[in-house]
Amino acid sequence: MGKALIKKNENNNSEQSRIDFKMVTFTLSGKDYGIDIMKVKEISRTSKFTFVPNVAHFVAGVYNLRGDIISVIDLRRFFNLPLIHLESEDKEQDNPDVDDMIILSLDNNVLAVVVDSIDKVVGISSETVQPPHPLFGDINIKYISGVAENESRLYVVLDVERIFSSDDTDEDSADASPETPSSSDSPPIDASRNERSAALDIGFIEETLATFASFYVTALNRDWVHKRYISWKETRKADTIQLTNVQDAESFLQSFASPCSGIFWSREYMEAAASFLDPAGKGNFHVWNPGCGSGQESYSTACMIKTHLPSVHLKIIAHDNDLIKISMAPGLQVDGNASGEPYDAFITEEGRGNQFSKDIKDSILFEYHDITYDNTLPQLDLVVIRDTLSYLKFDSQESVFVLLEDRMKSGGILILGENEVPMNIAMWDKVENSGVVAYKKK
Amino acid sequence: MRVEYINPFVESAYDIMKEVLQSDIDRKDLYLKKTSHPIMGVAALVGLAGDVEGRVLIDMSQDSAVKIAAEMNSEELTEIDDLVKATINELANMITAKAVTKLFELGFKFDLTPPSIITGENMQVSNADVEALIVPLETPQGLVEINVAIRERT
Repeated sequence: MGKALIKKNENNNSEQSRIDFKMVTFTLSGKDYGIDIMKVKEISRTSKFTFVPNVAHFVAGVYNLRGDIISVIDLRRFFNLPLIHLESEDKEQDNPDVDDMIILSLDNNVLAVVVDSIDKVVGISSETVQPPHPLFGDINIKYISGVAENESRLYVVLDVERIFSSDDTDEDSADASPETPSSSDSPPIDASRNERSAALDIGFIEETLATFASFYVTALNRDWVHKRYISWKETRKADTIQLTNVQDAESFLQSFASPCSGIFWSREYMEAAASFLDPAGKGNFHVWNPGCGSGQESYSTACMIKTHLPSVHLKIIAHDNDLIKISMAPGLQVDGNASGEPYDAFITEEGRGNQFSKDIKDSILFEYHDITYDNTLPQLDLVVIRDTLSYLKFDSQESVFVLLEDRMKSGGILILGENEVPMNIAMWDKVENSGVVAYKKK
Repeated sequence: MRVEYINPFVESAYDIMKEVLQSDIDRKDLYLKKTSHPIMGVAALVGLAGDVEGRVLIDMSQDSAVKIAAEMNSEELTEIDDLVKATINELANMITAKAVTKLFELGFKFDLTPPSIITGENMQVSNADVEALIVPLETPQGLVEINVAIRERT
């Protein structure tokens, strides 16, 4: 009976998790296809494409989507399918010139595809998607992510990201560095009797750090706290090891701050950080910089990317929940730390002192925002979040990493504080240059 | 919320309230709030569109609404009637329009919808995925909260 119960539970679980993948289905030459709904921006019907001369045969033209000009691909021509007009279909009778369009929002661009007719949204379990079979002759197998069955119809699920990505991105996953981070999960404290009291002491220190400095010790920074505890013990008398007030907590955390934290980055730091960027990067380049304070690090990041990846379309989203600090950010005065290369090229003289150029300012969006609330972010190429997460509670730290897992592109770079490591370490490859460490998303 | 948007809303709310009530207004500290939160009793809602999407909510208790409307109309009013609603409507219009004008001068272009009035007890307003900036203004007629939730279009 116990077994039966367990089995029943399992069944229940699988019922609950059944629908985790939704796709927009449509027909091409009478066959059913699907596209992941997360890639679909909207559905539209139109006949007004603007013809563009001298383009590939599958480009139907360009279309004005409320002011944005996007290109329109005819999927039937793209896959060399016959252009049949089904007379029985209503829309053909209505107006034979109107086409159904699916507007896709991909990593790098927005484009529209023309299909025969759009059917509906189908929810399925991603587990039931079968891998494509080499016998699918109509469409090149590498563009298919699988075949899904719903209500006894088979849908070919297209991998639109791959269809419309440029070829050179295909190899991205191959160059992931095999190096594994040196930090271990377990704290460097073993349970031998001598050190048991030390573990207890650390437990107290962890609690008092939260109380006095709102510094929360988790997997993110535990290694550093334990190392710091050892050096702390050496400098303090036996009865003053514990932190009893705000000053104690501050002096304990004194060496936590990363180099150039909260100020303009030095040239050396910037060069080291820039070496993690993919020099072939192009298209949109989105950066998230929570805890930006008055914006020094956001401006440094902007200068770094404008110097090393001049052709990308840069957008930095900088957040802070300190109203006074972030209010200063858009009109920040340049101070002595930001002189010389590479800052000079981006600085203009205003009446009230030196400021960053309009180009740099336009690339940064400063928002008064609390990251423990909902975050709406685009797909991110770079995240700079130094010495910020340690001051969030465990749940918030965890939810930020869940968010990064979701919103960062594969191969995206995460720069944490010098003494912080990602909580979900298995998701990241550690990369290092001149003492600066970053994490590349697998 | 984008930093540049904050000041226009704070200033216009303060200026307009001060002007229509002809008295000193005490501006309290701004803060952020998750948007799903109860309203105090009477709320005027103005939608924003254009470069951004979002809304402005002018929120006050029923008692304050009646008193503010009475002050603005120089009349004795006792309950939420059509005149009170129309007056609060106009107040919301004035505050938002002035803020949008200031923002336009800074180079941001918004469109607004006509205000709608929401009254009742125990109601919540939520916007998905965006937090609200609260500008609390203490007037002689009671607390008025200007609640701005805007996000950039992505």
